[in-house]
Amino acid sequence: MSVKSLLEKLNILLSEEHREQLAKYKSLKKVLRALRREKAALKESLATTENEAARKDIDSRLKIVSAQRKKGLKVLKKLKSERNNKP
Amino acid sequence: MFRRLLLPVIFLTLGYGFWLSEEFKTIAAGVAVFLFGMISLEEGFKTFTGGTLEKILRKSTSNTPKSMLFGVVTTSIMQSSSLVSVITISFLSAGLLELTSAIGIIFGANLGTTTGAWLVAGFGLKVNLSAYAMPMLVFGVILMFQQARHLKGSGYVLAGLGFLFLGIHYMKEGFDTFGQGINLAEYAMTGYGGVFAFAGIGILATVVMQSSHATLVLTLTALAAQQISYENALAIAIGSNIGTTITAIIGALGSGVNGRRLAVAHLVFNLSTGLIAILGIFQLIIVVSWISSRLGITADNYTLQLAVFHSLFNIIGIIVMLPLMGLLVKLLEKLMPIEEPEIERPMYLNESLEEVPDAATEAVRNETIRLYDIAVDVITNGLSIQREVFQSGKKARYVIRKSKEVIDNDIEDLYERKIKALYGAIVEFIIHTRGGYAKGALKEELNALRGAGQHVVEAVKGVKHLRKNLLRALKSDNVYLIKEYNKLRFLIVRVLREIEASRSTPEGDTQVIPLQLDPLKLEIEEKINGISSGLDRSIRKNLVNVRSATSLMNDISYCKDTCWDLIEAGLVLFSSSNRVDQTAEQSVALDEHEIAAIIETPHGEPQP
Repeated sequence: MSVKSLLEKLNILLSEEHREQLAKYKSLKKVLRALRREKAALKESLATTENEAARKDIDSRLKIVSAQRKKGLKVLKKLKSERNNKP
Repeated sequence: MFRRLLLPVIFLTLGYGFWLSEEFKTIAAGVAVFLFGMISLEEGFKTFTGGTLEKILRKSTSNTPKSMLFGVVTTSIMQSSSLVSVITISFLSAGLLELTSAIGIIFGANLGTTTGAWLVAGFGLKVNLSAYAMPMLVFGVILMFQQARHLKGSGYVLAGLGFLFLGIHYMKEGFDTFGQGINLAEYAMTGYGGVFAFAGIGILATVVMQSSHATLVLTLTALAAQQISYENALAIAIGSNIGTTITAIIGALGSGVNGRRLAVAHLVFNLSTGLIAILGIFQLIIVVSWISSRLGITADNYTLQLAVFHSLFNIIGIIVMLPLMGLLVKLLEKLMPIEEPEIERPMYLNESLEEVPDAATEAVRNETIRLYDIAVDVITNGLSIQREVFQSGKKARYVIRKSKEVIDNDIEDLYERKIKALYGAIVEFIIHTRGGYAKGALKEELNALRGAGQHVVEAVKGVKHLRKNLLRALKSDNVYLIKEYNKLRFLIVRVLREIEASRSTPEGDTQVIPLQLDPLKLEIEEKINGISSGLDRSIRKNLVNVRSATSLMNDISYCKDTCWDLIEAGLVLFSSSNRVDQTAEQSVALDEHEIAAIIETPHGEPQP
C-alpha cells in the first residue's frame, strides 16, 4: 500500500462524516437486532395463543415489525454501499 | 343589585302612574314611541355606515376643528349622539382614528345634539307633528319591507322620524291635558337647591331612558305646557348632558381601552361643562336672554331660550376644554395604557445561547416540547374536554365519556396568542442560530425540531377546523353524529395518551419510541377507515343527512391529519436523546403508505 492511499484511509478514518456514518450503521444494526428478537417473540406467542382477538393483535404487530425490519435492512444496505463506494 | 331592582321599580312606578292618570299614560306612551323612533332612526343610519359615513369620517377628521365639525354635523343630521359615539369607538378601536380626533368628534357631537332642542322648540311644538308623522310611518314601513339595502335603510330613517314626531305629539297632548287638572309647576324649586335637584332628575331620566334627547324633548313639552319652571327646565337640560355620559360609560365597559378612554373623556367634558353651567346658571340666564333678544326670540318663549341655553353652555364647555385636550389625551393614555395581548413568550430561548451551539439546540428542543405541551392544552380545549378530565390520567374512552359538555372557548385567539406566537419565536431563533454557525448534525437537528414545531401547529389547525362541526354535533340531538364525532375525539385523545406514555418511559428503558408508535399509526388508519366506511352505510340508512355527512368526511380527514401531525412531532421531540440512535430509529419507522400497505395485507398471511 502506497503512502498516498494509506494517508487517504487515515483521512477517512479521522473525518467527522465517516465517523457519523459508522455510528449510524452501528445504531441501525442495534435496532434491527432488537426487531429480530421482537419478531421471534411475536411468532412464538402467535403459535401458542388461541384467542382470536389476541391472535389478530399479535398478527398486526408481527406485520409491523416485519415491515420495519424490511425497511431497516434496505437502509442498512444503502449505508453499506455508500461506505464501500467511498474512495 | 341596583340594576336588578331598577326594572321592577320602573315597572311598578309606571303601572301606578297609568292607573292614577290617563294623561300620564299618554305622556309615557309618547316617550316610548319617541325612543322607538330613535332606535329605528339609528338602525336606518347603520345601513349607510357600510362605506359612505366611513369615507366622510376618514376625510373629515384630519385635525381637531374638522373632527369637531364632523361631530356637530353628523349628530345634527342623525339626531343621535350615541350612534356617532358608537361609530367613533369602532373607528378608534380599528386604529383608523387618533384619540384626539375621537375626542374632537365627541365634543362636536355634544354641540350637535343641541340642535334637537332647537328643532323641537322652534318647529315641533308649533306645528301639528302627527299630521307629518302618519304619512312618514306609512311610507317608511313600506320601504322597510324592500330588499334593496338603501331603500330599507331609508325606510327605517323615515319611520324613525315618523315615530319621533308621533312621540312628541303624544307628549305634547299629554302635558296639555295634564295641565288642566294638576299644575306641576307648583312643585318648582328656586335657588341652587332647585338647580341641583332638577339636574339630578335630568341625570336620572336620561339614565333610565338611555337618551338625553328624549329627556330634553320631554322637558321642552312640559315647559311649553307650563308644567315646569324655566329655571328648573334649564337644570334638567344640564342633568341630561351629564346623564348621557353614564349611558356612554356603561356602553364602553365592554369595549377596549380606547373605548374606555373615550368614555372617560366624554365624562370629563360633560361633567366640567355641567359644573360650569350649574355654578354660573344665573349669570347664564342673563346672557341667554341677551342673546335671545338679539336673535328675535321673545322674552316669554322659554322653549327657544332653553335651546339657546343648551347650545351656550356646550359652547362654553368646548371653549374651556379645547386647550386642555392635549393634556387630557396624555393623562388618559397614561392612566389607561393599552394592554398588550397576552402572547406566549419563549421560556428557554435567549440571545446568549446563540454562542453555544449545543445549548442552543437543546433550548430549541425544550421550547418545542413546551410548544407541544401548550398545544395539547389548546387541542383538548378545542375538543371540548375539561383540562382536569384529560389530566386525570384515565383512559381515552373515560375522558370522552366525561366530556359531554360543550366548552365554547375562543380557540382562534388561543392559537394566535399561544401557538403561533411561540412557534414564530422558535423559528426566528432557529434562523438566527442556523444562519450563524450550526453545521452538520446540529443543523439537521434544528431542521427536525423546526419540522416538529410545524407539525404541532398543523395539529392545532386541524382541531380548529374540526371544532366548528364538532361543537355543532355535540349541541345537536343526533345521537349518530355525536357518536361519530366522539370516535374522532377518542382517536386524538388516544394519540395524545400514547405519546404521553412514550415520553414518560424511564431513562435506560430499551423501548424504541419511533417504532413503538407504529402500532398506533396502524390503529389510527384502521379506525379512520372504519369511520369512513360506516358513514356511507349511515347515509343509506338516513341516520345522517348528506350535508352533515360531507362535513363529517372533511372532519375525518382533519382528525387523521391531526393524529399524524402529533405522532410526527412526538417522534422528533420524545425519541432517544442520542442523535445517532434517533436517526436510526426514525429511518425504520413506517410512513403512511407503508401502514396502508399493511392494512391491505390479509390477516394470517405468513410473514417473511
